[in-house]
Amino acid sequence: MNDTVLVLSIASAIVAGTPILLAALGEIITERSGVMNLGVEGMMLVGGVVGFWAGVNTGSLTLALFLGGMAGVALALVHAVLAVSLRVDQTVSGLSLVIVGGGLSAFLGSSGDPSLLQSPNGLDVNPLFPQSLRDLPAVGPIVFGHDIVVYLAMLATVGAAYFLYRTPSGLSLRAVGEDPAAADAAGLNVVRIRYLATAVGGLGAGVGGAYLTLAVLGTWQNGVTAGLGWIAVALVILAGWRPGLALLGAYVFGGLRGLSFTLQLAEVDVPSDFLAMIPFVAAFIVVVAVSANPKRARRVAAPAALAQPYSREAR
Amino acid sequence: MGVPVASLAVALLVGAVILAVAGNSAFEAYRTMFDASLNGWTAFSRTLTLATPLILTGLAAAVAFRMKIYNIGGEGQLYLGAIVSSWLALALPADLPKPLMLLVFLVGGALAGAFWASLAAIPRAYLNADEIITTLMLNFIALSLMNYLIFGSMTFWRDPSRQVPGGKKIPESAQLPALSGRLHAGIIIAIVCAVVLWWVLRQTSWGFQLRTIGDSPAAARYAGMSVSLKVLSVLAISGALAGLAGAIEVSGVTKGLEPRSLATDIGFTGIIVAVIARTNPLGVVPVAVFLAAIATSGTALQGIGIQVEVVFLLQGLIFLSVTAGEFFVTNRVSLSRPASTSASGTSTPGSDTAPVVS
Repeated sequence: MNDTVLVLSIASAIVAGTPILLAALGEIITERSGVMNLGVEGMMLVGGVVGFWAGVNTGSLTLALFLGGMAGVALALVHAVLAVSLRVDQTVSGLSLVIVGGGLSAFLGSSGDPSLLQSPNGLDVNPLFPQSLRDLPAVGPIVFGHDIVVYLAMLATVGAAYFLYRTPSGLSLRAVGEDPAAADAAGLNVVRIRYLATAVGGLGAGVGGAYLTLAVLGTWQNGVTAGLGWIAVALVILAGWRPGLALLGAYVFGGLRGLSFTLQLAEVDVPSDFLAMIPFVAAFIVVVAVSANPKRARRVAAPAALAQPYSREAR
Repeated sequence: MGVPVASLAVALLVGAVILAVAGNSAFEAYRTMFDASLNGWTAFSRTLTLATPLILTGLAAAVAFRMKIYNIGGEGQLYLGAIVSSWLALALPADLPKPLMLLVFLVGGALAGAFWASLAAIPRAYLNADEIITTLMLNFIALSLMNYLIFGSMTFWRDPSRQVPGGKKIPESAQLPALSGRLHAGIIIAIVCAVVLWWVLRQTSWGFQLRTIGDSPAAARYAGMSVSLKVLSVLAISGALAGLAGAIEVSGVTKGLEPRSLATDIGFTGIIVAVIARTNPLGVVPVAVFLAAIATSGTALQGIGIQVEVVFLLQGLIFLSVTAGEFFVTNRVSLSRPASTSASGTSTPGSDTAPVVS
């Protein structure tokens, strides 16, 4: 494998990892508040189809990402109603979001609107930095070669970490996720915080889905996420609910997904079906490995009240 | 029973509104769906054919969900069942007596499903590795494996004489007898499985322990039940049922390893079936028939200019509405005795000592 191939695959890993990162960041915020939303795959699909449609029809990436994000939020609020207000089993509620999101996106995507068959060529997905910087050897493509969303996702990672550990609101959010009864007694509005955190999760997944269809793949088709949302859910566990590690993990998974492209360039012959397996095999192994290491498992423990509904009357 | 039925009605109503907004006549759509799936024996037998694997994947999800073990890997376990059973049918002498061949075929498929589930069950039982994630990842791995066997290579499974890649046809001795049209004897096996599972959950100590662990893991541990062993056995049975679904689908419908016909969300829809049936094995049968009716009518909808995807939308709405309906079920229970809002399978050790409910 020569240098160019390596540089190009690292650069493409960052782009391919960005939708995973956005979705995982959102899910970290959601789960830190004690709400587990397994519906990331469904929210990404709906964000993906709405964002793609908006992007092709308006030509504006900003508007497309916004609408995709809002679609994700809308679906996330359904989960909030079920999981926070109605206090149904959060696993089942999350799964229902996957199925509703899959069904809704398939329905919307098959509406016969010809714009969904187009490619978003006219879209303003442009590199952020000038040509002279992008032409630098190695660091050019890897550091300066991307569009604005990639950098915003990096900023969002820093922002999420700062928010969680350095702001009063972040402390409130974590308190609600660790011990909602104590947080409630301290005067925090548990329900409102959990709704907001769930909505942020939907925003991340929706924007991630829209960025996936518009910029990474440049196409919409039924079930286009192909498990990416689930990778994001797994990544939250692997990263120990911490944004920084999620960024690293997202790029690694992005690289694994792009591996077929890389190996083709390097002229290594591996059947494509096995390459398609790699991210899922990796996620499986890492989830098991994280559980197998008790020291690490304790250090990266889940929020104590994760997936537990909170009812004031039953306190 | 009242709440799930009301939930179904709400979902169909919301579906009607969405259809109307999209510019279609909901009444005409539902009537077409009814005619295509339930009206008359020809239509109904088609529905039953599709309900056969759904009953089995529904049971697979139901038995695990009853213990709050979320096996969402039915899809992958079904593929493994199909892969192994079709291999057995092709590798064994074709002139084997039919009962023997079918027995080996079906048991082989079930064992393959159990094996695939155990890959997630062992880490769950001994390391507490989240079974939701692991079973799901195994779905994608199994799908790629099946695709490789037929589309990605010239393996033993693939029929080299066919232009479009497809599986070799299994011998007649491995095919389940037809009952009427495309309907085959698999439906009988599926219903028998439902009754047996219902009896086992209700009448055996294994079933009692499973229900106890599902309702209150802490109480079960206190009573000395081995949760780890129970996780292993429940996931093995769950996987075996899904694997059996794969074998029966190959034996009765596809007659060979056909990824395109097998990878049609049968395993995933089984989760919807189990949740609507509230994990009751006897409830799984009518619910599977109902969801199969919706699914079979998709193509008929195309005839009146409505896209097939309405089917997925309706399935999603039903699932959502039934999930929301759980609130009413649990709350009615809590009037007579304190609600046991237990944590889901992913809770960390120690968290069940500090539940937020009393």
